[in-house]
Amino acid sequence: MIIGIDVGGTHADGVLLDGTRLVAKHKVNVDQRHLSDIIITLLQALVPKDRHRLNRIHLSSTLCTNAIVTGSLDPVGMLIQAGPGMNPEFLAQSDATCFLDGSIDHRGHIICDPDLHKVDTAAKAMQQSGIDSIGIVTKFSYRNNSHEKYIAEHLAGRFAHVSMGHRISGLPNFPRRVYSTWLNAALKSQFCHFKEAIEHGLAHLDITCPCHILKADGGTIPFSRASEFPCESVHSGPSASVMGCLALCAQKGDAILLDIGGTTTDISLLVDGTPLLEPYGIRIAGRPTLIRALNTISIGLGGDSAVSREGSTFRIGPERQGPPMSQGGTGPTPTDAMVVLGRLQIGSVEKAAAAMTALCPQEAPERTATRLLETFAERIRQAATAMIEEVFSRPVYTVSALLHRRKISPEQIVAIGGPAAALESLLSRQFGLPCTVPADYEVANAIGAARTRLTVQASLYADTADGQLSIPEISCLERIPSGFGMPEAEKRLKQVIFGMVSEMGMVEIPEIDFLERLEMNVVRGFETSGKILNLKAQIRPGLATT
Amino acid sequence: MSFMPCAPHKTALILFPAFDWCISPTHPEREERLLYTRDQLIEEGLEDVENIVFFNPELASFQDIDRVHLCVPSSQKLLTESHLISAGGTLRAARAVMDKEAEKAFAIVRPPGHHAMQTVFGDRGFCIINIEAIMVEYIRRHYGVRKIAIVDTDCHHGDGTQDIFYNDPDTLFISLHQDGRTLFPGSGFLHESGGPAADGYTINIPLPPHTGEEGFDMVMERVVMPVLDEFQPELIINSAGQDNHYSDPITNMNFTAQGYARLNKLLNPDICVLEGGYSIEGALPYTNLGIILAMAGMDFSHVKEPDYDPARFAQPKDMTRYIEGICAKALEVFAKRGTGKKEALRQKIVREEKQIFYDTTGFHVDEARSYHLCPDCPGYTEIKASGLRNHIHAFTVPFNACPKCQQTARDSFSTTKPAAQTIIALQDRIEDIYETK
Repeated sequence: MIIGIDVGGTHADGVLLDGTRLVAKHKVNVDQRHLSDIIITLLQALVPKDRHRLNRIHLSSTLCTNAIVTGSLDPVGMLIQAGPGMNPEFLAQSDATCFLDGSIDHRGHIICDPDLHKVDTAAKAMQQSGIDSIGIVTKFSYRNNSHEKYIAEHLAGRFAHVSMGHRISGLPNFPRRVYSTWLNAALKSQFCHFKEAIEHGLAHLDITCPCHILKADGGTIPFSRASEFPCESVHSGPSASVMGCLALCAQKGDAILLDIGGTTTDISLLVDGTPLLEPYGIRIAGRPTLIRALNTISIGLGGDSAVSREGSTFRIGPERQGPPMSQGGTGPTPTDAMVVLGRLQIGSVEKAAAAMTALCPQEAPERTATRLLETFAERIRQAATAMIEEVFSRPVYTVSALLHRRKISPEQIVAIGGPAAALESLLSRQFGLPCTVPADYEVANAIGAARTRLTVQASLYADTADGQLSIPEISCLERIPSGFGMPEAEKRLKQVIFGMVSEMGMVEIPEIDFLERLEMNVVRGFETSGKILNLKAQIRPGLATT
Repeated sequence: MSFMPCAPHKTALILFPAFDWCISPTHPEREERLLYTRDQLIEEGLEDVENIVFFNPELASFQDIDRVHLCVPSSQKLLTESHLISAGGTLRAARAVMDKEAEKAFAIVRPPGHHAMQTVFGDRGFCIINIEAIMVEYIRRHYGVRKIAIVDTDCHHGDGTQDIFYNDPDTLFISLHQDGRTLFPGSGFLHESGGPAADGYTINIPLPPHTGEEGFDMVMERVVMPVLDEFQPELIINSAGQDNHYSDPITNMNFTAQGYARLNKLLNPDICVLEGGYSIEGALPYTNLGIILAMAGMDFSHVKEPDYDPARFAQPKDMTRYIEGICAKALEVFAKRGTGKKEALRQKIVREEKQIFYDTTGFHVDEARSYHLCPDCPGYTEIKASGLRNHIHAFTVPFNACPKCQQTARDSFSTTKPAAQTIIALQDRIEDIYETK
């Protein structure tokens, strides 16, 4: 049995599943200052009497998101080696940023080592200002992590928490690596406290099974790993919702997933039944990061959005109106239109009709309501279309990839959230696609959290001309023979992923996808001097089968 | 609060390294060429810089090719999808600028194009079709732009671009390159200054081997910028070859990433198109980044090759004097523009012959051109070319021809009798027609 818990902005849901069967559900209100207490309360209500039947707990928590929103992050000292390129000044977002000299080039060659004297001076200043968590990032550290490790080793013991860029992600993009590392460092101590509190609570409840944390990429990681990489637990809400949709309404082909709420609608996409990921990572607190995440967009459109007339059509959102007029509010909302059309039975039908008349005095309320909801569905359709277009125009670098690009062509819509059922037929008509609103959708997020399995990504860069191999995710930098080729690289990366997931406690290892496989001859002076191999592989987001 | 820099000039990048295409596995124009450039640009985080946008290339159509080139036996037979994508990359760049999706655009695509002449029998100098020329005529066709300046900063003379626009006074072509006596294609001397209807609109600036930042700065300040100010183009295009770099393996110049960036800041081109550049590891990642930042109006002062040392490339005094001389002569070419046409008009038809060497597979094409001159327009051109036992006899009407010349060219095409192994072609850029028989 698995318990899934999804902590949202106002309330938290929990479910107990036996396999895929929903055994129990529970809901509580949330006080963001006491997250661990709320989680323990939910666990208490859900945990089966026979503790041994409980296999795992999956948590989707707002802890890190709150820390960011409320600005209660730890102060961080950043040691950054930028090397040649763009002026890196913009990366100095706090006083405690030190730009180091030395550099590593695009092939991972060390051009010049950093001056340790400068590192010491910066470290001393950071310590004096009470900083206990630092981030170390060098450009191209995913090709060669030596400088990051060199600085970390040099500073060993001086700070409680050290985050290194190459461990956070094996993807390129230096500014994103800097911001991800900063975020990770800024979340560390809080996450450790949270972990302690939860572990204490679990012990109190006599629960001994492993606890996993939901990530933004539609996967989970064990608590232990999350405390090393707390940045991965940020923004897991949309991920719970997408995985919930998937759990409640299995899809094989391309589909559009909608989570329609009071203020916003979240849109995400399934490609061949798998949720689509962001190419690099999400934006957190305005910063682009390498935190792997599902590709979701949020538009300011929901049941309680403010509505006004705009020519012959309507302006809906992005601001929230407050309660609908049918429930005693002061301005018309899409919810009022749903009430007028009899698709929602909440509040007063008369007041809802008055809301429509306030919008279009010359028109029958039913007519206005229909037109308003058509506009609502059309806005969602336009946003989804733009999203599909954007995915299609992601950069490709080979002739074959350019010629064989496939545009996502959705066959179905799956909608969850309060107003979803009321909009089902309208959405279907507007998109020209079948639309499903699954049962139990009000606990979809908690079910999603419960059913989600581990995800892992790793990348490999091998340069046989230099005889060097780098797998940043596991901090590996080693020598390889000149005969190292694609079969060896694939095998090695598979082993690494197997190792990572079995370390995280996964027994049954799912299929590994190779997302990128680049093999390039290195030619110098008309002679082939070696090969560059670049691979990226993952365990894609998916549902646990048991 | 902003976490990424914002480019003062919105800039579109069409970055297409074609990792699965090469001329041959060890050829300089091979899969690996833009690998390190791509790696550097992505690691820099340019995709996240505000006001820098990335677009995929599209495929150019055969009509876009035939508007410019006379392909033998045909564009369909000579070209692969890779060539259409490279040309299509420049068209995407053009649309980005002309449709105001961005202020500026840089097509970082391959294979290059500036050695491809109007007649095309195969690959020469790593080029089959002239991607800038295809873009220029596309812009004229779809956006009605007339006066365009092309500044070619590749180390090799842009002989193909020169050939295509040789008789067009609405296209100012300036090429800065290593002296043709010391490098392929062996042309690009001061006296090659334009066809009879466009004398003075082709300006060649052959520079001595080892020219560095100082020499290029001088040419830009003394010749290129004043000439552009005078010509007043509606669009400036930079054929942004990067093989003047000190580390380039097939040339002998001493230019740098800082130098390329400074040149672009001064030139302020609307569109850049990558041409050559074969120091794929030591130069291209830095020169491309420098050019992009300069175009976008961003700080490029940190873009330096790992072994950059300006002191290494101090310019000797006699070289400075020599380049001063070249600058003065180049300015003279432009100052005397248009004077040759009066003389030529008396002859009505001016004939020129040349032999074109296709270096990649090694064969010659003999070409004869007859410029049919007109007092009201540049006139039409009749071209006869033979190579590899194929012949073409073509009549080409430029976009700026007068109706009378257009009609005469059409009449000549229809009365020309078919001949064995010969393509009779009409290329009418006014009506956008390419017809063969």
